[in-house]
Amino acid sequence: MIESREESGVQIIELARANKRNAMLPEMLDDLHSAITSCPDALAIALLGQGKTFCAGFDLKACANDPSGDTMRALLTGLSKCVRALRDHLAPVVLGIQGAAVAGGCALLGGADVVIANRDAKLGYPVVKIGVSPAISSPFMLSTMRPGVVRTRLLDTELIDAEHAKKLGMVHELCDEPTQVRDRAISLAESLASKPGSGCRATKQWLNEICSIPDSIADTGLNTSLGLTGNDEERERLAALWG
Amino acid sequence: MTNEPATSRAVLLKTNDKIATLTINRPDARNAMSVEILDAMHDAVDELKDSDASVLVITGSGRAFCAGMDLKAVLIEFSGDASMGERLLTRLAELTLKIRALPQVTVASVNGAAIGGGCGLTCVCDITISHADAKLGFPEVDLGICPAVIAPWVVKKLGAGVARKAMLMGGIMSGEQAFEIGLVDQLAPKRDALESLTNDVAERLASGGPKALSATKNLINELDGSFDEALVLKGAKLSASVLATPEAQAALAARMKR
Repeated sequence: MIESREESGVQIIELARANKRNAMLPEMLDDLHSAITSCPDALAIALLGQGKTFCAGFDLKACANDPSGDTMRALLTGLSKCVRALRDHLAPVVLGIQGAAVAGGCALLGGADVVIANRDAKLGYPVVKIGVSPAISSPFMLSTMRPGVVRTRLLDTELIDAEHAKKLGMVHELCDEPTQVRDRAISLAESLASKPGSGCRATKQWLNEICSIPDSIADTGLNTSLGLTGNDEERERLAALWG
Repeated sequence: MTNEPATSRAVLLKTNDKIATLTINRPDARNAMSVEILDAMHDAVDELKDSDASVLVITGSGRAFCAGMDLKAVLIEFSGDASMGERLLTRLAELTLKIRALPQVTVASVNGAAIGGGCGLTCVCDITISHADAKLGFPEVDLGICPAVIAPWVVKKLGAGVARKAMLMGGIMSGEQAFEIGLVDQLAPKRDALESLTNDVAERLASGGPKALSATKNLINELDGSFDEALVLKGAKLSASVLATPEAQAALAARMKR
């Protein structure tokens, strides 16, 4: 469900579950984490999704089929690990969004340095609808976006288009068509990989330090989301959606 | 009343009632920051602490605003002084802290290129005005160096997400693109309209109560961590350490020969 390969110093990591709009499963996030952490020498990372949609978020059918909440817990924990691994990687990370980045898919933005999307792509965190808290994403969003924007985006379930997201600072560059995103993301990653490495790596590390997210804060966000998992509200809403 | 103490020829400082104007005056080197320029800017800013002016406009003489650090000074092969880079960067860090702490509202009037440390200087100011054809950016990573010394100000100006992209991707952008990402707050359509726009903004600012302006600026500085001297000085040390690497020195030498 994850494909990863190196080309000219760029590690191209792809979500490869296109028939399910790259919806995340726990084992998929384990593989994503392995892909990110197993390329310490990469000069840049391009994180992409195969098919028409970058990522539709967690596989909610799998969550609905597991009323114990264990699948949801594994997804939340795996997502937190992946975002932290992207942020901690020495190489800059380019994220290419075609179609949509929803909920857990949008949370991956928190680990990216450069985000590009097609103009009409949909982004958002509509998870309170199913009784899930997006608190897991809040520390990473607050380290890249204005607090007022973070508040609105996490509490309002509306999906916004990438053009609006660019005005809010969630997206840095737009492509006219979804089919252009992949090439553009790889091209930007190649450009980053071609720069002298010491300056780029030192700059990313320093930006991480200036806008640091202590593990304790990231843990608090994760634990807030985990704390709600498996409760009646979530079970009822997931069952109503998939029952 | 116009008062012209003209701090030094490297920097021109004039005060007209409530509006002071500091002009970086090294047009033949695109106002690049040498030791002389930085010393003169420190002196000018020190002079302003006791001034009645409530607004400070910073601009550049000639076609450029400020082309960044003086490459001749930081290139060890050229200057023969391995410590010069750290001295200049520390001096720049101290200057940015001093400008940020001024009681005056500061306006960068970006008349032309504002590159690297020059662009960082605009981020230290409270308001940045430029024109559509100006060139701004942070190309440090293209040269294997690290804009750490100015990064705290860029992050405060742009927000961390936009700053991350701007400083990691490097390169140069137009005044119009800088306006789109919030690096420039007000944009004149052409260079020849910049002075008039700058005067309008400066006069509007100067019409406010000096104490109210100063107290508001001071509070924002407290809220956004602008008084964190240790962070900015640590950034200078990090920039200096990367600058001293053979990779960075080779890239700078190649740039000098172009």
